[in-house]
Amino acid sequence: MWKSLIRTITPLSKTTNCLLSAETSIQQQLRTTFILKRRINPPLSKKGGPPKKLRTRNYLYELVKDTNCDKQANIDLILTSYVDGLGNVGDRVSVKSYQAYDQLLLPGLAVYATPENLEKYKDVEVKDMKVYSSSTALGVMQVLSKITLSVVMNKDSPWTIQPWHISASFRKCCYMVPEYAISIPEKPIKGPNLDIEGKEFYITVTINKTEQFKVRCRIHHWSTNIRERLPYEEGFWKVPGELLFPEDEEIAKAQSQNK
Amino acid sequence: MFSIVSKLRPNSSFFSLTKTFISERNYAARKGTRERKQKKKTKKEVEVKAKFIPHNQRNKDALLAARPILKVDDSARPLPFDDVYIMKYYRWKVYPFHEAVESHRQTHHPDMYNEPNSNLLARIELNMQGEKVTRFVEDFSRIAAIPHKFEHGDERAIIAFSKTASVRQEALDAGAQLAGGVDLIKQIQNGGVSLQNFQYIIAHPDILPELVPLRGVMKRRFPNPKMGTLAVDLTGVTERLLHGISYSAKKDEHEKDFGLVEAVVGTLDMDSRCLEENFAALVQDVYRMKPKREGTFISRCLLVSPPSSEKFKVDHELYIEVKDDNTQKDVEDDGEGERVAL
Repeated sequence: MWKSLIRTITPLSKTTNCLLSAETSIQQQLRTTFILKRRINPPLSKKGGPPKKLRTRNYLYELVKDTNCDKQANIDLILTSYVDGLGNVGDRVSVKSYQAYDQLLLPGLAVYATPENLEKYKDVEVKDMKVYSSSTALGVMQVLSKITLSVVMNKDSPWTIQPWHISASFRKCCYMVPEYAISIPEKPIKGPNLDIEGKEFYITVTINKTEQFKVRCRIHHWSTNIRERLPYEEGFWKVPGELLFPEDEEIAKAQSQNK
Repeated sequence: MFSIVSKLRPNSSFFSLTKTFISERNYAARKGTRERKQKKKTKKEVEVKAKFIPHNQRNKDALLAARPILKVDDSARPLPFDDVYIMKYYRWKVYPFHEAVESHRQTHHPDMYNEPNSNLLARIELNMQGEKVTRFVEDFSRIAAIPHKFEHGDERAIIAFSKTASVRQEALDAGAQLAGGVDLIKQIQNGGVSLQNFQYIIAHPDILPELVPLRGVMKRRFPNPKMGTLAVDLTGVTERLLHGISYSAKKDEHEKDFGLVEAVVGTLDMDSRCLEENFAALVQDVYRMKPKREGTFISRCLLVSPPSSEKFKVDHELYIEVKDDNTQKDVEDDGEGERVAL
């Protein structure tokens, strides 16, 4: 009984499959172009006369170019919103086809750079859009807002935190942050003071002299003499340390929300 | 009657009388000869005993191949766009010499590491490819003369040889430990003075014939003009050997076209200009060992100062005097001429 059922069902399913899979059966055009050159020129014919017959030797070709081997041309687009690493609103960008279709055109972050669109997006006034000072500014802000910068100060000689200490500490971690872009808290942080060892404070970094963001810093005391050094705390940046100034609680909350 | 197969002996007339035999002609060589010959023919397969290799040294070739390339080329990376940026995504910043030294001074300041007198090292990376692609420049050790001396901590005792007393006095004034003439050579031969106590041997060309008997004792240290130890002006040589920067360029054992020079150019408490001049002198001396081929010899120069692990890239080309190459290049005919039937 079951076998006879299966016999009736299978042809039906096959037809329904055919109907449903109409899209897959569409023949796409073959976008291949081979540029060839005749090895032996065809015979010339008289003006107004019938063309002469081509011989076998005229059908010998040499391959000049195989367009499949060419590099795929980039697609020109106009951005309609800020894209990190590419540009701001209204910027003309040239990207590879995959990135253009999948990451920009499909989500509506860009449009094709046709003559009509160029006119349309020429003088676009940005009102509710976020505009950043450069194409890479947002990326830098996002990365530096998440880190805990270790500021290593001496355990024996007296010091007060200055912008150049922070700049040097950034440089040690391979972040280029010049001194003028750093603003330290108003209250002076003096040392060496083992009460503030491992405590954290916030500094403000200004990127391209426009955007500002907060970076969390942690104080470490370091002794030149190996024997007097404090033990290294593995993964100290994973657990947020105690704040030096209680007013920074709000900044900490805001940052954790952004994460 | 049975036939006796017996060995045919030369004087076996006795045998021939008593018995009929069928002699077997046996042309075998003396006992053991065949075996000896066979042993010579067969190749001896030496059994290699498997040595114990610790786990972290096994597959050394694979480990070396997997190591990142020492020749760092960041020209494909973009230049930074913003003033605040993440350095790993962009090209290395080329520091002016003064700024690099200042940056080191910041980290070594009493507020931070508290080592303001630490050494400043120049790390010069070289492309050791020779005139031919598969041949490489040999490792070299030299002493570069520098304008501003500093304490290098090396023990450099110099012995000078010259016939003229004035030259000997010059050498002693410059800082040589011992200076002498033919009598000093005799003392060495007697054993009164030991050459082992001296690191450098310099000589004036006039005393060279008398110095030849000591060649075997001196070996590599025998004065020669190539090393700069055989010269007319012994004061200059003595000063250079005593106060100059001793450095050596060594190729990496796996990546043979990469060579490295790490030399101290001074201390951080020295004046920046003095450090720069010392560095310039070192770079020029290294550049003198350049092979005769196209392409750069010094790929990049970094300034390092322990205990900091920071490296600041400095433009070495500012200190190299590039001569205008007006000489014609010799183009070899690669069979582009007329073909001659042999």
